[in-house]
Amino acid sequence: MNIFQSNTGSEIPLAKASLSARVGARTIRRWTDKVATGIVTLGGLATILSILGIFVYLFIEVVPLFYSASVTQEASVSVKVEGSAKGLPNQIGVGLDEYMEVGYVIYRGSISLFHLDSGKSIPIDSSLKLDHESIISVGRSGAQGNVYGLGTADGRVIPLTIDFKVSFLDGVRSIHPELSTGSPLEISVESEPVRYLAYRELSDGGSVSAAVNDKGEVQLLKMIEEEGGLFSSEAKQILTRGQLPMEASTPPSAMLLDGMGETLVVGSEKGELLYWDITNVESPRLMGVYQAAPFSQGTVTAMSYLIGDRSFVVGTSEGKVSVWMPFVDPDKGGDSRLSEVRTFSQHEGAITSISPSQRDKGFLTADDTGSVFLHHSTSGQTLAQIPGAGRPVQALMFSPKGDGVIFADGSGKIMTYRIENEHPETTIASIFKPVLYEGYDQPNHIWQSSSGSDDFEPKFGLWPLIFGTLKGTFYAMLLATPLALLGAIYTAMFMHPDLRSVVKPVVEIMEAFPTVVLGFLAGLWLAPLLEKIFPAVVGMFLIVPVALVCMCLFWQIVPAWIRRGSGSTTEFLAFGVVLLSSLWLCISFNTHIESWLFQGNYKDWLSSTFGLAYDQRNAMVIAFAMGMAVIPTIYSISEDSISNVPRHLIAGSLALGATPWQTLTKLVIVSASPGLFSALMIGLGRVVGETMIVLMATGNTPVMDMNLFNGFRTLSANIAVEMPEAPEGGTLFRLLFLAGMILFAFTSVVNTIAEVIRQRLRAKYSQY
Amino acid sequence: MTTFLKKFWNSGTLFIWICGGAVTASVFLVVGVLLLIMVNGLGYFWPSNLVEFELADGKKILGELKHREIIPDSVSVQSPDGKGRFNLKIGNRDLYGLDFRWVDEDQVVAQRLPLKATAFERREWGNFYGYLQEIKQRDSVLVSGDEAWKLLGPLVVEANELHEEIAHIEKGEIGAINHEIEQARLRIRGLELQGKNDSSEIFDLKADVKRLDSQYEKHVQGLDILRKRLHEYSIVLRDANGEMKELPMGQIIGALQPNAMSAFAKILTYIKNFWNVLTEEPREANTEGGIFPAIFGTVMMVLIMSVAVVPFGVLAAFYLREYAKQGPLTRAVRIAVNNLAGVPSIVFGVFGLGFFVYAVGGTIDTLFYPEAFPNPTFGTGGILWASLTLALMTVPVVIVSTEEGLSAVPREYREGSAALGATKIETMLRVILPSALPGILTGLILAISRATGEVAPLMLTGVVKLAPSLPVDGLFPFVHFDRKFMHLGFHIYDVGFQSPNVEAAKPMVYVTTLVLVLVVVLLNITAIAVRNHMRKKLRGASI
Repeated sequence: MNIFQSNTGSEIPLAKASLSARVGARTIRRWTDKVATGIVTLGGLATILSILGIFVYLFIEVVPLFYSASVTQEASVSVKVEGSAKGLPNQIGVGLDEYMEVGYVIYRGSISLFHLDSGKSIPIDSSLKLDHESIISVGRSGAQGNVYGLGTADGRVIPLTIDFKVSFLDGVRSIHPELSTGSPLEISVESEPVRYLAYRELSDGGSVSAAVNDKGEVQLLKMIEEEGGLFSSEAKQILTRGQLPMEASTPPSAMLLDGMGETLVVGSEKGELLYWDITNVESPRLMGVYQAAPFSQGTVTAMSYLIGDRSFVVGTSEGKVSVWMPFVDPDKGGDSRLSEVRTFSQHEGAITSISPSQRDKGFLTADDTGSVFLHHSTSGQTLAQIPGAGRPVQALMFSPKGDGVIFADGSGKIMTYRIENEHPETTIASIFKPVLYEGYDQPNHIWQSSSGSDDFEPKFGLWPLIFGTLKGTFYAMLLATPLALLGAIYTAMFMHPDLRSVVKPVVEIMEAFPTVVLGFLAGLWLAPLLEKIFPAVVGMFLIVPVALVCMCLFWQIVPAWIRRGSGSTTEFLAFGVVLLSSLWLCISFNTHIESWLFQGNYKDWLSSTFGLAYDQRNAMVIAFAMGMAVIPTIYSISEDSISNVPRHLIAGSLALGATPWQTLTKLVIVSASPGLFSALMIGLGRVVGETMIVLMATGNTPVMDMNLFNGFRTLSANIAVEMPEAPEGGTLFRLLFLAGMILFAFTSVVNTIAEVIRQRLRAKYSQY
Repeated sequence: MTTFLKKFWNSGTLFIWICGGAVTASVFLVVGVLLLIMVNGLGYFWPSNLVEFELADGKKILGELKHREIIPDSVSVQSPDGKGRFNLKIGNRDLYGLDFRWVDEDQVVAQRLPLKATAFERREWGNFYGYLQEIKQRDSVLVSGDEAWKLLGPLVVEANELHEEIAHIEKGEIGAINHEIEQARLRIRGLELQGKNDSSEIFDLKADVKRLDSQYEKHVQGLDILRKRLHEYSIVLRDANGEMKELPMGQIIGALQPNAMSAFAKILTYIKNFWNVLTEEPREANTEGGIFPAIFGTVMMVLIMSVAVVPFGVLAAFYLREYAKQGPLTRAVRIAVNNLAGVPSIVFGVFGLGFFVYAVGGTIDTLFYPEAFPNPTFGTGGILWASLTLALMTVPVVIVSTEEGLSAVPREYREGSAALGATKIETMLRVILPSALPGILTGLILAISRATGEVAPLMLTGVVKLAPSLPVDGLFPFVHFDRKFMHLGFHIYDVGFQSPNVEAAKPMVYVTTLVLVLVVVLLNITAIAVRNHMRKKLRGASI
């Protein structure tokens, strides 16, 4: 091919004489040529590389999905505790604002606010009526906000809220913590000290508390706030008290209240979880006892609900971390049953504290060796570990934005770490394997990327979309393959050349037909029509073959001057007559067909016979529309490959006495089969990625079943639907890139196979 | 008989017939779709007669008769034919709430075509079907009856001219002022960002803004006067049941009495309607009016795409075919390029959004448009990114087609040129390129036809349902690459699937579809013709 290869760079021998006469011009020409070669090479390579770079770019966007979290130490500050006379008191609660600038520590006996960068303490408003000395325990109310109940030595619970007010002055941010307390609630009438406390503020202003006293009894207190009368602005508090009828042999070691204040989980020193219904606090009811730690090996040391208050984390003294979920159990008369659904990386020491994320289903666990682990419930992975310094972590909190952690380990220092944790919910397994989501009773493949509420658990199972893609592809190919291949065979082998030169371009025009048009027709014209004439369409599939056979038999006795040989225009007209008349017949007898085949109503018949529901926009509509889109592609390529079978082979076969049909099946199809295969592959590639038709003519519901009469959602339509709303760089954004990459990879593989086969074929025929 | 059947079976004629049936079915599908679009799309422009039904309950209904069908559940053994019903477009959405109505056949007592029945095209609420009662000038009746009909024509023309003037002021002059104010504001912001808070430039700009504001006020006052003139006249319309409706003249775009029109007049109206759709702006959430912005957006996007795709595609093809050493690597590259032509368009859309819009556009914004922050300039979808995305999608088509063109150039051409002393680039430019031109052209046309019909990638990279302004206008820098645009294909999707009143919007979708299909089919036919011409020419040359 390249005849210039040998002499680029030197002058062309034949033109030597004339060139040497004009040295200057020659040099310019030579340089021009070199520069041009450079430009073409560079430009060509750049173009090719940049289009190949698409895959690389998609890959780069997808990879961060599978990154682990990274943790970097931010600050370590010593906090001076005011008024600590009895040495360093125990830290029972820590927290910080959303910008990670101001933190607080709750000690046994005091509360301290400080700047995280300098450790400088912030004075607490002295008007605050907080009986510091008596605070001995603390219960955090849920994941959102800094709301606590403080348990006192004299049997009271003091509600405490810490707000961080943010103000901007000249573009500089400053944060002002504000503490406020509610009126103390007397949980123990006998003023027994509150050793452990579980506290929950309810959405209507009331609260529920559960306290363990020195005797190991669990006392309950429900506070309901009632609007004051007409003349009093003060709300009235109504208190109800109760006690759990617990056996003394199972001393409680941890407690957990849900956001509605209806259930209480009590962890015992025997490693049990006792599940109580406390809707009525005066008469609590035990709903079940579950073993969280292996029998008599370890106690339950910490528990916390994840955001949304559905599943909760249990930590034991053996360092086991597990997530539990309630399941509706029909055997238990509407009560829920608790079940352990996931376990995470084992800690080396006893779990001391658990803090849920306020953003997602992630949580932090800390142990008594001082290490802190970051886990994510949905994906079941442990994302990061902060190695311990040997001292037990006493209190821990996930930062409000989920980008950091603060904890105190009793050394008098408060540690903060930054967490880079962009995509905690995605692993290969959570995307491609069934996952047990909250609210489901078994692992499922589910795609549900967003919802209105904050505590929603995103469900990123790609299988329903892949399934939808394959379902649409399957039905479309089912329709298109026979029509296109048989049509190509007839056109290439039997059709008169004059007719062929009309028919082929007509079908090929369709190849360039905008798919949005087909989608529109499928969605707004075909779908309602098909719903009306479904029986007629079924009738068509039955009647047309029969009618063709009859017409064919009849054709044998038609005089030859009408027939004018195989592949003539008259024969083509005969096909047309058969098709149009059966179409007309079926449509005009639509209702009759419906009563003959489907007992009068095909929708009822479908649901009663097969249990299938009929949606207006369904896979059958897609089969027709996508079939339409792909018939020309398959038809065109396979017609070419059949036409390219060398004529002398066909002539030889016919000369040896084979019938046209024998020649076709024994010779032509065999020789052209790689071409036909590659046509199907290319068609397949086109159907798989088709977007507009599916977007417009299916219901776009990501369900997984092969029912011909309901909709589905494909990878491509899903991208079109969700991409505009996906925030850049978010998990959904990258997952949609992953969907794009899957489509890219699939079509590439399919097309490469087709292309390699086609090249082989070409090489094979070049020897004839 | 059995031998006949046996022979018949063995001959395979039956299977050949089944193959024939398949090809016929395929052709019917194609032709059927084309016919469907033609009939529905072209039918939209025809001024159909207005039918008045008198119903059994004494009420009257006036409207366009759309079609008749058998009531689905009415067919039974007793009445095998079932009962029929008519679908009427009754318009008058403001009075009835619905555009379409079903009328059972057995409810209809009488049916006639009243000569005076008039279809009023309105700016809001869709068409009004009824009768012209009278024309008022500021609350006093000016004329009524036939006289009113004669006066209506000139008044409507005048009202339309007023509307045009208003639109011109709003879009042109006020638009220009707004644009200047916005530019000045951005420049002030930019200077502030550079720390030049007190420079004289800012002072001047602020004075400019004040001056522009007062200009703006003046135009607004001018507009008020014009708008008042629109309300000078009003017309009173009567629907089939005698209910009156008064409308300001400015609401009326046109009025027709189709029942009284001759066929020739109807044809003229038909052509006029067609032209209006092609040249007007959309109204009523895109369901009425024209599709001009969509046509413009499509054409412009395709033009930008062509400018981008041809040089790169041709360079790559020349490199692959003429410069690169042929071997396994080039073969692999060729397969890869071929593959890219088969990659789903939505994947390119995803790439375009991530790479062009966010990565490149975002960088451009931080470097060159810091004053517009946080509003993105190039960091959001726009016509440039959409065009480049489509260019990337179609570049394989151009490469493959150009390569085909190059491989069809006989080797003798190259050898002859070399023998005459031409350098390689001279051969390429003077000999090979002209011979391969038809191939390049075919590639370009195929690329254009693919790009014209593609919607999915555009949905991610900058198409919108209603663009406030065209990407080209009289304001500096005249061509706005960062603007969002409208597109015929997306128009179909949006109007057909996102509009609140799909049934009323359908005709518009069919018309848009027709235009799009015509463009694509024409482009393809051109491509095929060019290719055939090229093949013939080169075959002739090689002998």
